[in-house]
Amino acid sequence: MAGHEEQYIEVGGARIHYLKGGRGKPLVMLHGVEGNLGWRQYHEQLAEHFTVYAPTCPGFGQSERPPWLETFTDLARFSLWLLDGLGLTQVTLAGHFIGGWLAAEMAAMSPSTLERLILIDAAGIQPRDGEIADIFLHGQEGTRQLAYFDPQQVSEYAELFQRKPSKEERAIQTRNQETAVRYCWKPYMFSPSLPGLLGRVTIPTLIIWGQEDQIVPLECSALYQQALSNARVEIIPQCGNCPPLEKPTEFVQLVRNFLT
Amino acid sequence: MFLMRFTERAYVDYSEEDVRQSFRSAVRLTFPNSHFNPTLGADLYNTYLDEYEYAEAVGFDGLMLNEHHNTPTCMGAAMNLEAAILARTTKRAKIVLLGNPLPIFDNPLRLAEELAEIDMISRGRLVSGFVRGTGIESWATNTNPVYNRERFEEAHDLIIKTWTTPGPWRWEGKHYQFRVVNPFERPLQQPHPPIWIPGIGSPETLIWCAHHHYPYIYLETDPQVTLDLTAIYTEAAKQVGYEPGPQNFGYLVRVHVQDTDEKAYDVGKGFLIGNAGVGRVPLPGDFMAPPGYNSREGAKHIVDQYRRYSLRPDPLYGGVDSAGWEKVVESNRVIVGNPDTVVRKLREVLSVVRPGILGVWTNDGTIGHEDTMRCLALMEHDVLPAVREMGKELGLPGPFEHTP
Repeated sequence: MAGHEEQYIEVGGARIHYLKGGRGKPLVMLHGVEGNLGWRQYHEQLAEHFTVYAPTCPGFGQSERPPWLETFTDLARFSLWLLDGLGLTQVTLAGHFIGGWLAAEMAAMSPSTLERLILIDAAGIQPRDGEIADIFLHGQEGTRQLAYFDPQQVSEYAELFQRKPSKEERAIQTRNQETAVRYCWKPYMFSPSLPGLLGRVTIPTLIIWGQEDQIVPLECSALYQQALSNARVEIIPQCGNCPPLEKPTEFVQLVRNFLT
Repeated sequence: MFLMRFTERAYVDYSEEDVRQSFRSAVRLTFPNSHFNPTLGADLYNTYLDEYEYAEAVGFDGLMLNEHHNTPTCMGAAMNLEAAILARTTKRAKIVLLGNPLPIFDNPLRLAEELAEIDMISRGRLVSGFVRGTGIESWATNTNPVYNRERFEEAHDLIIKTWTTPGPWRWEGKHYQFRVVNPFERPLQQPHPPIWIPGIGSPETLIWCAHHHYPYIYLETDPQVTLDLTAIYTEAAKQVGYEPGPQNFGYLVRVHVQDTDEKAYDVGKGFLIGNAGVGRVPLPGDFMAPPGYNSREGAKHIVDQYRRYSLRPDPLYGGVDSAGWEKVVESNRVIVGNPDTVVRKLREVLSVVRPGILGVWTNDGTIGHEDTMRCLALMEHDVLPAVREMGKELGLPGPFEHTP
């Protein structure tokens, strides 16, 4: 077991929460719209090979949000500041769903900060044919039904989503939803300029997608690949929007193959 | 006592099954508009306007309109249009808009202009209420609910300044920016039309109203809970140096009169099919209050106050009616009966709540035009005069008798 620790760092006047564990080169994992779900199995597996950082974005969970931080662009700028604070340069940045969008924005803003980029079922680019499912309109339960190809495949599903949350956990869920709405309401889950700006990004990029993603259409993996000059796509069959939870072994193997 | 008449102007030509088949079974927001028949809609709009004109004729002091979006439960999707028509076709009653949902307006200056026109066309009869809107309004207009209160307050400040500060000037706010604020047409009433704020008891809004001396109109709140809410307003008013009275408060209640108690009881059941939709299929809570729409403190307060309701309604769709028709009638949450019964029951409510403004929600849902007109006719001689006298006896001046 690699183990992990829970830490805080002050960035821009805000106290930011993060988890850190493992050994080896740094790998930053940015969470999806449900916030930081804690140190999961995939973190543990990755931590056997990398020093994994799992920060909680400002406004989510136990991370404060500076009152001036209100847009997704602000969030990307702030998150680069967080990397500075953590002393991480030439780092591998990975992100799932809105975390993938965030990673892509950060890469476009400051490509020299990153060594490699991993985008997992990432929001951020508007599909041409389909549309990104409106998770706000579907509500929390409806979104969870969309998020997984087969919840039975998610070994941590019951622990994460089927037990009664504590009062504190409910408060955090509410806070996470509010924060997601603040950052992602309009335009919904994409930045019109992102595909163009990604032309600046030449670092090796791995795009991982669940083949059965019902939230961010599979076509977005190709759109990301088109926008990035040095990207390859890996599709995980029988998997929904969240490969790290639904197919952790396959996901970790793809990341390891890409980084080693 | 200021007496105003209200209806949500419902469209009810659909079934409960239709609602259940819509996305998340929501009569508001996602109920397909393919169920709307414009031919019927044309009849209904004209009928509802006729009824409002008749409400003036029978003696109401005010004609109260409201606005909702993406819903058959209220056809007032552009309330200011109805207000403009009534401004021209009526002569005496105030046009009471409760209210324009400020956060959904990207251009509050246009709203200030519309309201000024209504005020002038009506020759100074506009009461310009403002609301935050339900969460549905945020969804329907794609207005980020996290900024609902900020936009409400900033739009309000901008409109009031537009009406009261000679232009041109510039506005650089957080949510609104305008280079040249200088609408040429200004309201007839000076310094501006009265502002009233309706709601269900968000403490932040109550305090904000108290600080602005704006009457707060309780929308069907439980009478005992209403007293708690009034205490919040009163305390905030005292902090800024005044003692509020009945003129600072209004109360909206459903009241339907027929010749006999039995008929009123039977016809009044149509209310249950009205403002919350045919069949009363519960609305998803996050449609009414999307994430960030209420502050966490405000949301907790609202939930707590609903928990104290004796009838324990389901707050998710705002309906006391889930307690059942018999109970809502017994508890005076809906008042039905012959004129004597209605006057007696109104005395019970007014004695407790003590508003200077009474909103009389005469009909909705399946209560048809004929029954509505009979209800209004009976009110002319047998209800409204008695309630006016009651207002004097109980010491309930309205805001036009005593400045809030």
